[in-house]
Parts: sequence; structure tokens; C-alpha cells
Amino acid sequence: MAGGSRAEKQRKQEAAQRRLAAAGIQAPQKRNRTPMIVVAVVIVLAVAVGGAVLIARALGADVEPTYTAKADGAVVTAGTGPAVIDVYQDYICPSCERFEERYGNDITTALNEGRLTVRFHPIAILDEQSNPAGYSTRAANAALCAVPAGIFPRYHKKLFDEQPAEGSAGLSNEQLIQFGTELGAQGDFAGCVQGNSHADAIAKETDKATKDPALQTEGRFGTPTVAIDGKKIDLNDTSWLQKALG
Amino acid sequence: MDRARPLDVVGTLARFGLAAVWLVSGLLKAVDPDQTYVAVRAYDVLPAAGVEVVAALLPWVELALGVLLLVGVGTRLVAALSAALLLVFVVGVAQAWARGLSIDCGCFGGGGAVEPGETTYVQEIVRDVGFLLMAGWLIVRPRTVLALDDRIGTRRLG
Repeated sequence: MAGGSRAEKQRKQEAAQRRLAAAGIQAPQKRNRTPMIVVAVVIVLAVAVGGAVLIARALGADVEPTYTAKADGAVVTAGTGPAVIDVYQDYICPSCERFEERYGNDITTALNEGRLTVRFHPIAILDEQSNPAGYSTRAANAALCAVPAGIFPRYHKKLFDEQPAEGSAGLSNEQLIQFGTELGAQGDFAGCVQGNSHADAIAKETDKATKDPALQTEGRFGTPTVAIDGKKIDLNDTSWLQKALG
Repeated sequence: MDRARPLDVVGTLARFGLAAVWLVSGLLKAVDPDQTYVAVRAYDVLPAAGVEVVAALLPWVELALGVLLLVGVGTRLVAALSAALLLVFVVGVAQAWARGLSIDCGCFGGGGAVEPGETTYVQEIVRDVGFLLMAGWLIVRPRTVLALDDRIGTRRLG
């Protein structure tokens, strides 16, 4: 085989070199840079692929929400379209932030166009993930306060844009109030955030969601969860929204 | 018979082993970019933009290292790059552990926060050290069989 004779030749060359070296003679050698070039090209290609994915995702501009929202207990009903979905999110949940980043614009567009109704369930399953505990409930409460303040659509998005890391203290009530003020909250938004008066309704809604077998996968409830007609749908199917819109 | 042969076989196993590690971990990360983002973010080291960049590039860099090891091009260089990346992973897991975060390393897909009792930092670091040993072997002794290096790497020029 060609490889065998090649190896043979290489060994002979190396033996000759060793003899030269033993005799104190240094043969000048050119380094073969081919492997290094191949490695560099492949890694540059890989970075280019990753970069292209990154740029493709970054190019989508934010859609400005124009839909209206109303609250009933701890459930916010947004839009008036014929297709109806239930969205369960926890404001400190990183996967929910990804969900918002990925589908937020499409959902907002469908709501703006009157094709979709979303029942947002801002729930609190991760209260223990902030230190001190309770950010999930405070954030959900602020989101419910944002409904009568007339700023829910943009406030909801803002809470995910500014999502604190798990394990952190979360956003302070002052920060939650400031975001509302920036977005033009009407009425006593500050008092509503400070009062945390929706906490009981949020706890009840959280309990209801986590115990509903139709919202579980393998006996566990997690966020984000999207349900149609009360049944959890598979978000791994990335065309779920198109299908829901029919 | 060449005395170096058994050592070549050990090196080859290390090369294929490490290639498999990168190919599998890269693939699992590449197919679920959102999960990869959550995993990188959970280390709580980088700002949001940095997380975005690392999460986007990491899977493809891992796949590139895997392919290069599989075909055996620039084995020593690729092993050194692998070792450098593995060291970054070990440091990342160690800092999460030291700071009392409870996360899954997301080494082979998955990742993100877990319940405080469900962390497996020791296993994760031991596993990475095992991979580091494979990379270390190839840095010290990069000669293996069934490698493209035999054809393009050791040919004398001029």
C-alpha cells in the first residue's frame, strides 16, 4: 500500500536526520504549514457560520405593540383575534426570555393585526430563584399593575429585556416603577407595584397552572408553556404559531 | 515491527475519543440554540451581548475541532486548542461552584439553573479533566494512525 511505503520512506528520512544530528550537523528545514492553514480555515469557517446565525437573528427589528389588554384576576387577555392561545411565563425564567426573543415579534404582529388573542398568565414558579426570594411574584404583580396603567404590552417586553439573572436580587420595586414611568404609566402605578396586591391572585393562578395535568410534560410543569384549548402544545415545533393562526 | 506502534494506537484512540466528544457536544448545542443561550447565561459571567456571541459560536467551533480531530489534521495544534477550551469550561464550572450558583454545565446540551441539590460539579470537572488528559496526550505525542497529517503534515518541502 502507498501509505506503507510512505511511512517507510519517512522512517528512513528520520533515521538519516538522526545520524546527521548525532554528527552535529543541522540540516535546514522548512516547516510544512499546510496543517496549520487547514486548521485555521476550518475554524474561521465555523466562526463564520455561527456569526451568520447570530446576525440573522439580530436583524429583526422590534415590532411596536398597538394591541390592547385587559386583566381578570392574574390573567391578562391581549388582542381580540379569533385564534386563542394561553401563554404561561415567569419573568425570571431564562427560557421565557428566549421565547420572547424568538416569538415575541411574531406574537405582537399577530395581536396588532387582530388575528390572535393571547391570555398571558404571569405566574411565579421561580420565586426561590431570586435572593431574596419573591422576584417572580413582584414582577408578575408589576405586569398586572401595567394593565390599568395602559402600558402592559410594552411593559411585558421590558421585563424580559431587563430580565435579572437567576440567583440575583432581581429588579427592585424602584426599578420596576421607573420602567413604568418611562413608558408613561397612568394612575397609581407606583402604589400598585409597592403594594404587591396581586400576589394572592398570582399564587392562585400559579397553583392552578402547575397542578393542571394538561399543561405538564412527563408530570412536570415548566415555563414557558403555551396551551391551545387548555392543552399544552409542543414548542419544539417552531411553526407552532403559524399553525395556531391557521 | 516499529516500537512506536502501540503508542500510536493509544494516541489514535485519544484522537477519536476527543473528536467524538466535540462532535456530540457541538451537535447537541447547535440544534438547540435557545437552550445553549440559557446554558451559557447561567454561568453568569458575560454580559447579554457576550452570552449571545458565545452561544452562537461555541457549537460550531466545537464541531470544527471535532471534524479536524476526526480527520487528523494539525493534531497537535487542534489538541492544544481543545485543551484551552476545556480549561475555560473547567474554570467556568469551578467559578459557578465557588460562587454557590446551582447550574447544570450544559456540556452536552441542556444547561441552565437546577435545584440546589441537583448540581454535579464534581462529575463535570472530573469528566473534563479526563478529556484534558486525552488532549494532553496528543499535545505531547501527536502521532496517530489514520490521520491526514501523514499525508500533508510530515511531507518535507523543498
